[in-house]
Amino acid sequence: MIDDAIQPGAEVTLIVDGEPLQARRGQTVAVALLARGRRVLRHTRNGGHPRGLFCAMGVCFDCVMTIDGLQGTRACMTRVEDGMQVSTPLRFEGREQA
Amino acid sequence: MSAPMEADIAIVGAGPAGMHAALTAARGGARTVLLDEYPEPGGQYYRQLPADFEVADRSRLDPDFTKGDGLLAEVRAAGIALLNEASVWGSFDGGVLEVMHRRRALTVRARRTIVATGAIERPGVFPGWDLPGVMTPGGAQTLVKGQGTLPGERIVLAGSGPFLLPVARTLIQAGRPPLGVYESTHPLDWARHVLRLRGHGDRIAEALDYRRVLSRAGVPIRFRTVVARAEGSGAVERVVLMDCDRQGRPLPGTERLVEADTLCVGFGFVPSVQLTRTLGCRHAYDERRGGWVPVHDDDMQTSVRGVFVAGEVAGIGGAWAAMAEGALAASAALAELGFEVPAPGIEALRRERRHRRAFGALVNELFAPRPGLLDLVTDDTLVCRCEEVNAGAVRAACRPWGGNVNFIKGATRCGMGYCQGRICGPVVEALLAAELGLAPGTVDHFHPRTPIKPVRVSDLASLYND
Repeated sequence: MIDDAIQPGAEVTLIVDGEPLQARRGQTVAVALLARGRRVLRHTRNGGHPRGLFCAMGVCFDCVMTIDGLQGTRACMTRVEDGMQVSTPLRFEGREQA
Repeated sequence: MSAPMEADIAIVGAGPAGMHAALTAARGGARTVLLDEYPEPGGQYYRQLPADFEVADRSRLDPDFTKGDGLLAEVRAAGIALLNEASVWGSFDGGVLEVMHRRRALTVRARRTIVATGAIERPGVFPGWDLPGVMTPGGAQTLVKGQGTLPGERIVLAGSGPFLLPVARTLIQAGRPPLGVYESTHPLDWARHVLRLRGHGDRIAEALDYRRVLSRAGVPIRFRTVVARAEGSGAVERVVLMDCDRQGRPLPGTERLVEADTLCVGFGFVPSVQLTRTLGCRHAYDERRGGWVPVHDDDMQTSVRGVFVAGEVAGIGGAWAAMAEGALAASAALAELGFEVPAPGIEALRRERRHRRAFGALVNELFAPRPGLLDLVTDDTLVCRCEEVNAGAVRAACRPWGGNVNFIKGATRCGMGYCQGRICGPVVEALLAAELGLAPGTVDHFHPRTPIKPVRVSDLASLYND
């Protein structure tokens, strides 16, 4: 943490693409991934381009992931839970491919 | 169907404007509902750490983290119905708001509505702005203030406007000074307005304080400098900077490379008007207020009776204007409903608001986006991040489809994605106006469609299931 006075919440374990990932309660999914050096949160459905956190405050919807089975969930607005299932599909799953 | 939640005054957005509106409304005795999309109230200005985080001694924290403490405590103690994680996604009937509260649909019916939805950052648009590692300055600040996390190792801060300074300060206090702050305007551009700073000593002192913090940390500020592009494979690795002229036009032969993993570029803010548009409020284009704004009277009431606005949604003016307007809008709503208006009263708030707005207007003028910045938006530059539409496709649609951005939307899908054109809207407007040689504000704006925030049909069904 950036300030010694700040302690994040208790440890929880996410399942990201089938692999366990340690996170701390209160963190968003995006920050839990960033803390492990993961900046790419999805790939675009047409060009397959990598995308990460952009506005980090819920406006741009660029960080959408599939979280606990719900597609199109903003990783910047979703707080981690123990056992949460997160997937980072190669292709965005929100819609059928044309 | 579940019964609507009834209120005298409903407020959308719990930032400085919304919180002051809610406090005023509650003090006047109104049944007050305050709706906010985040897990904690505060907005971006008073962004809070999560309740799950432990802070042994708040007095030891940087003021960034604690400046909202007093106000939040007041809001929590005032008997306000505060709904966090509540998105307003539409309105079909006057002051009736359709809300998604976590995954449960809810209708709020209020006698008066105050929209305090704030602003959206105006991002920098240049080749590579979609690479992971490129973010808005506000996004970087939110990571620190709201999550106690740094956005990266080597951070470049660029764009235009006074907001870059508090973001730099936040990063410095967090132990990760940016490599530099690159501002596209120049103090010489501002000089002729210096007399208009009279009476705004507190704001000038704040700016000087930021300057001191930056120079003590050895963070250089470079003027007339723009980010020409971001490069890297899979994420940002390098930033290309260029000198620019007074109009923001990059000067050939001035390119230089900075190794960085995080690039934050912002050119100020635009009002977040999707809800006021949905409510049917009339809007006008005003560059001195950051673009399209709802038209309102002296007491913040819009063209739709019973609907008020306060803060950045009513034009970019800063947190101090927002606080005055929140209290003013609530006071006017209380008076209309026959409640007693608490101190300081409507007249005093009108004066405070005018004073704060004058400073906001000056800032918007000084840092208005320069037309030359569009030179950076090459045809292969992405414009709509959601629908993956590049500038070439937008430009190609301009001549055949003519002078309304909604035709460009229909022709290219620009602005049809999840964010509903919140990010690309102002860019498409600027591109179209430039292409047809028209003034900004004459090419209409994207019309938001309900739901203005994505909602799941299965979640909407909860309106009928209980």
